[in-house]
Amino acid sequence: MIKGEVPKGNLAKVTGRVPKGNLGFHRMKALIFDSSTLITLSMNSLLDILAELKKKFNGKFIVTEPVKYETVSHPMKIKRFELEALRINELLLSKVLEMPSSLGIKDDEIDYETKKILGIANAEFSSGGRNIHLIEEGEASCVALSKILSKKGIENIVAVDERTTRMLYEKPLNLHKLLEKKLHRKISINKNNLIFFKDVAFIRSSEIAYVAYKKGLVKLHNSALDALLYATKFKGNSISQEEIEEIKRL
Amino acid sequence: MQEKENVIDILERTKGAVKEGDILLLKDLSNRTVHTASIYADPDNIAVAVAVYSLGKILEREKYKEYGQWNSFIKGYLACLDKALIALRGDDLESFRQEIEHINGEISRLSGNFRVNIQQVFRKAMINKASRIYEHGISMQKTAKLLGISIWELAEYSGQTGISNVNLSITLDVKERIKNAMEFLTR
Repeated sequence: MIKGEVPKGNLAKVTGRVPKGNLGFHRMKALIFDSSTLITLSMNSLLDILAELKKKFNGKFIVTEPVKYETVSHPMKIKRFELEALRINELLLSKVLEMPSSLGIKDDEIDYETKKILGIANAEFSSGGRNIHLIEEGEASCVALSKILSKKGIENIVAVDERTTRMLYEKPLNLHKLLEKKLHRKISINKNNLIFFKDVAFIRSSEIAYVAYKKGLVKLHNSALDALLYATKFKGNSISQEEIEEIKRL
Repeated sequence: MQEKENVIDILERTKGAVKEGDILLLKDLSNRTVHTASIYADPDNIAVAVAVYSLGKILEREKYKEYGQWNSFIKGYLACLDKALIALRGDDLESFRQEIEHINGEISRLSGNFRVNIQQVFRKAMINKASRIYEHGISMQKTAKLLGISIWELAEYSGQTGISNVNLSITLDVKERIKNAMEFLTR
């Protein structure tokens, strides 16, 4: 390659490193959605902000196959959530949300990594010689895709509102303390595997709502930010009141 | 089945609580299997938790006693729990499971609004227990799958609880997370 020339395609694949700074072209980015975040946004009628954010986002909003099942295929059969499922499906049809294949990632690749993650995550904590199964396929598939994309040099973040997956990757020792506190017994932790739980970035529906609000994408007045943040919390987003009040002060 | 002795104790105390009309004790007893259910993902412990909690909720609602089928239903329900207890004491796990399952049979024999109401009590009991398991540190999807409910129902219910206010759940400074989101989504 001629010095100074910008390679076409995936720079990380060519050079084996992730480029820093502005090299005059857009690096691909992906926001990976877990079911929990889509559910929070959907139940608050906030899916529209995803369409608006997507217009300004130089990347893709991605859902894995298990997440599509939990947010579209399965609730489509439940009268109470059918409308929400249809709304999420619309986002897929209009390509606001896309499948990993749009980034050239095959389902087999995700399945393989998902199984690996489930094997490690669900053996991280144990009690009385039995492993505590913490997470399921949907959550693990998001982390799996994140790891695959990172290896390919595609910058990514996982949007997850449920707390266990986030705690496991960001502060596994906090999760250990929580398990011991709640289960009132000694929980063993596999410290050798702690190194595995890193390099995955997370945001929640609250942060997505905040960005949308700050960018003027939410057409509400008065105390809109307060309303948005608490609305996410009351539909299952694991954000504390303390965190919400801190966000409002920013 | 995990922690069989605990389940036997719960079922014995359930009988006493019903006799005394102690609804609060029934709710407490139903929570005693949550730890085991969380650690071992044990369906038997979960089934007992749901059955005992639902019983408390059903006995709590005086209006249900006005339904013509009340007496036969509650008699059948308690007989199932009795037989489940006897089966468990005799290490007959298959019969235990059948008796717990027979509670559903008792419900299906009901008619009209009474049946709908009791089915709703059971559904809500499952969501309540799921929320407790999620509170104990098991993920939302895993918990929903364990209880056979939708993750949507669990998200909606858990959002009304104080689960997210636990300090240990704060795993990154919120300012940093906002900064990451802003940079990532708008750059």
